[in-house]
Amino acid sequence: MSQLLIDVGSTYFKVATPTSIEQHFRDFNKDIFDDLTYKCGDTIGQFEKENVYVCSSANGGLSTLIIGITDSFSLKYAKNIAFNSGINIIDTIIYQNIEEYSIPSDLVDVVIIVGGIDSSSNIFTQSLYTYLDNLNYSNIVFVGSVQDAPELQNNIKDLVVLPNIIDNKLHIVEENLKEYLTNLYQLDIEGKEDIKNLYNITSNQIYSTPYIVNKTLALIDANYSVVDPFILIDIGGATTDIHYSKDLVDENIVTQNEYDRLVFKKLGVYKSKESLIFTAKNNEFTYELLTHLKVTENIFEETSEKATKTLMQLAIFLVLCKMSHYKKTYVNLKLLSINSIVLTGGITKVLSNEETEDIISFFYKKILNSKHNPSVVIDRNYDIWTLGITNKG
Amino acid sequence: MKVITGVVGNDIHVVANRLIELSLDARGFEVFNLGVNTYLEEFFDAAVETQADILLISSLNGEAEGWAREVKFLKSKYKTLDNLVMMIGGNLVVGTAAAKDIVPRYRNYGFDLVFHQVDLNTGLDTLEEYLKTRNI
Repeated sequence: MSQLLIDVGSTYFKVATPTSIEQHFRDFNKDIFDDLTYKCGDTIGQFEKENVYVCSSANGGLSTLIIGITDSFSLKYAKNIAFNSGINIIDTIIYQNIEEYSIPSDLVDVVIIVGGIDSSSNIFTQSLYTYLDNLNYSNIVFVGSVQDAPELQNNIKDLVVLPNIIDNKLHIVEENLKEYLTNLYQLDIEGKEDIKNLYNITSNQIYSTPYIVNKTLALIDANYSVVDPFILIDIGGATTDIHYSKDLVDENIVTQNEYDRLVFKKLGVYKSKESLIFTAKNNEFTYELLTHLKVTENIFEETSEKATKTLMQLAIFLVLCKMSHYKKTYVNLKLLSINSIVLTGGITKVLSNEETEDIISFFYKKILNSKHNPSVVIDRNYDIWTLGITNKG
Repeated sequence: MKVITGVVGNDIHVVANRLIELSLDARGFEVFNLGVNTYLEEFFDAAVETQADILLISSLNGEAEGWAREVKFLKSKYKTLDNLVMMIGGNLVVGTAAAKDIVPRYRNYGFDLVFHQVDLNTGLDTLEEYLKTRNI
């Protein structure tokens, strides 16, 4: 049975039928549904609602603040789970010093409290409640010692209690919190008025795009000329996602999932263009890279095709830097061990293979001081997304 | 009673580490074994998460001293570890040195019990005696 697949991004939307794929720049003066039906109404009209599958990353993403008791266990584990659920971590707090932390002024979508194995008790006291009284948040979840749960539930309104994410061997247990956060993310997307309207054209659940892409990873090496281990970089208008297999990570967090994902919210080439340029200007290799590309920093002021290409090349370079020892963020990947780099997202419509390979070679040479040359696979027809959403559907 | 144990620093003596775990377990301790190549911060963090009574660090390749110098400073940053019993054992120096010289030095680093080239069971017997004196 033929299906219509629609991906609503922050900058573009894509519409795929069994025989064609079209991409449109979004009109931000219009509701997504109106814009979509105006540009692709004829195509959409050919499909029954049950054969239409939609995913979206538009305006998505939740913010979280994590309160834990140590860096090595509770905070590390909660950060790992939050990152892999596509949640944006705005701050982490070591509980013993909670009184020294400033309180975020913006609304926090979800607060995560964690600490202690199940045989530990009386970890949290009044200082936690005082902090929370002054914090503006929508959801709050406790994933620490089971013995402390009743006391916290008595003192924190609407607290959700889930099983501890630290087991009695100090290992991570991620599934319950991951499911909770993924569901919150899903509800957030569905709750947006723009997205709700899309149920006029589909009777299937609307999923988040990163979730769909992540689900496809296990199928990629069987469907494409990709050699394990590989990383997948999805550069879009607002964010850059990087998906990787766990064996590429130095950190030895043992989990049941084979693949992880990181979202860099400020490394997009359209909506987050300014922050991308800011990040680039703070990287000491950027000017050498611009020289290599035979452009000057004036390119940042331009809106030409050349400027867009340069920004996309910079995004590839900066995200690889962030995953390397040069600019450590959350994890360092063993980038000298990878055999393939897969690129998807809007970038695939703009950069040629040569332009992509050139930037990756530059990164390996300058940052890793290596001639390592992983093969580059560019997903030009959004096959990865198509495969993911079809399998999900 | 809860014990955190592991091998500090860049030291992969996994057999000794496992023997310590088995011996502690046989004596009725609840053991949290962090394994080899463990950093000091991880030891202390594990003690916080588990509310452990004892931290038993082992070292065989002699590099413990480099790490041990940081113990007092690092431990002072934690607000809940004042009553943690600090114990270290194994081969605690590079080259040779007498225990009478080594033990006071490690005590000064912040350890309550120090065992340089002492038989494991002797060390654990001493630990149990020490715990009685502390009423733990």
